[in-house]
Amino acid sequence: MSVTGSLAESASMIRVAFVGKGGAGKSTIAGTFARLLARRGQPVLALDSDPMPGLPYSLGVGVDDHPIPDDVVVAGPEGGPRWVLRPGLDAAAIVDRYAARCPDGVRYLQFGNLWGHVVRLQQAQHAWSQVVEELDRDSWHLVGDLPGGTRQAMFGWGKYADTVCVVVEPTVKSMHTARRLLTLSGARWGPSRLVLVVNKARDGSDAARVSERLGLEAAAVVPHDGTAGRADRRGAAPLDSAPGGPLAGAVDGLVDHVVSLYSLGREVTQ
Amino acid sequence: MKIAVVGKGGAGKTTTSAVLARTLGRRGARVVALDCDTNPNLGLSLGVGDSETERLLTLREEVGDGAADHAPTWEDILDRYGADAPDGVRLSVITRIENPEPG
Repeated sequence: MSVTGSLAESASMIRVAFVGKGGAGKSTIAGTFARLLARRGQPVLALDSDPMPGLPYSLGVGVDDHPIPDDVVVAGPEGGPRWVLRPGLDAAAIVDRYAARCPDGVRYLQFGNLWGHVVRLQQAQHAWSQVVEELDRDSWHLVGDLPGGTRQAMFGWGKYADTVCVVVEPTVKSMHTARRLLTLSGARWGPSRLVLVVNKARDGSDAARVSERLGLEAAAVVPHDGTAGRADRRGAAPLDSAPGGPLAGAVDGLVDHVVSLYSLGREVTQ
Repeated sequence: MKIAVVGKGGAGKTTTSAVLARTLGRRGARVVALDCDTNPNLGLSLGVGDSETERLLTLREEVGDGAADHAPTWEDILDRYGADAPDGVRLSVITRIENPEPG
């Protein structure tokens, strides 16, 4: 199945970013989400702004350090940005060359891993940000994964997204972080939609408790069934190790929900 | 003794820090627990409660926004931006000065 011209023309592409406390399951859910959306015949670019990324594992891409080379940028003009894309290179070309190829056709763009001081990633980070900003809005659905906590989110690293998924596990600490993240709607770059995802729910009361405390209905409840934990121990993607499991089912429901927010029509609802 | 606890998100940094701090406190040590996390939750693990944890964060944000002054001394940080936790531990949520005035 391919994206129909009418779909790309009539509806905007999904631009979603996953945020939450460290360990809440952002990467696990984001990677699974990206692949399940791609299975519906959609072009999906997974974006990772975590300098110690976990997303490659849930995508099942097989490499975790897939940097954008430093030489895609050159020093910018005086008084302008510090780095700009090398003349002749545009966002689409960089995605084509440097976004890793993942199962189900997902492409994956990261800075590269941070092994030393943050300075090493400056050029790659500039390149990444510029690609995300300049990428043609009709060519890709964007599924992003932010580092845990509130820092990057509050600094606008998810501003490419108009939908933000706050992933929360039913612990007080995770809800504390989520409550802060829900204030993002008031941020300058504020996403137009905030979606709550309850992860690691052990029973129905977990989701109810989270919803009540945060004042928002959960768009998806991912059960704590142990498959994600087992996949993590092996560094495998949950979709590959437990393809028909409850996690995959719940995230597929989340894809349905997000697709409906964009009124993408029947083409993408399987 | 000065101990910093680091690791990946969700690995258990905050929980480990809190148990360390309170265990040392129970053995009679004078313990200061510093939450340097941009998303500070240490108060929850120490047992000071949700509203007190939130209050310390709000205080720090007021400093960040320029609505409140930075504390000039350590004693002042612990006094103004701190809370008492069980086992004699004193918790403080701190931040570094992002844009110090020159000179």
